[in-house]
Amino acid sequence: MKGIPTVLITVSPEVSAQMRPPRALYPKGFKIGNSLGKPNQRELQRTVLRDALKLLTENTRPGEIITTNYPDYGEYHEPPRVRK
Amino acid sequence: MSISRKCVPFTPFEGDLSKTTVAIVTAGGVHLRDQEPFNIADELGDLGYRLIPEDVQSSQLMVTHHHYDHSDADEDINVVFPIDVLRDLKAEGFIHDVARKHVGYMGYTMQLRAMYEGTACEIANEIDKGSRADAVILTGG
Repeated sequence: MKGIPTVLITVSPEVSAQMRPPRALYPKGFKIGNSLGKPNQRELQRTVLRDALKLLTENTRPGEIITTNYPDYGEYHEPPRVRK
Repeated sequence: MSISRKCVPFTPFEGDLSKTTVAIVTAGGVHLRDQEPFNIADELGDLGYRLIPEDVQSSQLMVTHHHYDHSDADEDINVVFPIDVLRDLKAEGFIHDVARKHVGYMGYTMQLRAMYEGTACEIANEIDKGSRADAVILTGG
């Protein structure tokens, strides 16, 4: 096989960055367990998923995590930090 | 298939999202209600994965995972496994299709080498064989 392009949606960007994902989206401030948004926020969920898929067609740097703000989420949760 | 440990295993995407079939692979512990739950009793974690069919209804899915609060996923599985969201994107023509199969695994294990060299490759092969996916969305818990 030649491989399959992937996009990660992560709510733990520091943790995910250690694995250097080929493409990744961090919806800023979303809590763990809310990768796409809150339950039944379908329009927001669609926006996050569209944005993640759009990274396939953009010249992102492999290993880089793209941070995007989604005010409709309505909350900010501090992501987990990697202990150094 | 093996996965490089030295560099980012970047597969270029060529084409058009509107012609792309998309699969979901989640480490959020998602599985069908009638599949064996992930083993949350074993301190070493669970290296297994579950195949989720294309025609799954979101009400048939559940989460077994003890390292994140999945109460929101219990209410709406799409917050970690966006199967209905993907169907919406197909309906609006943003993507071409939803893949023939998807994968859930628990993503909590102390057996990192076995996960990296075993489970991850098995999941990649599952997607490669018969899912028809051109691209994969990965989510965690």
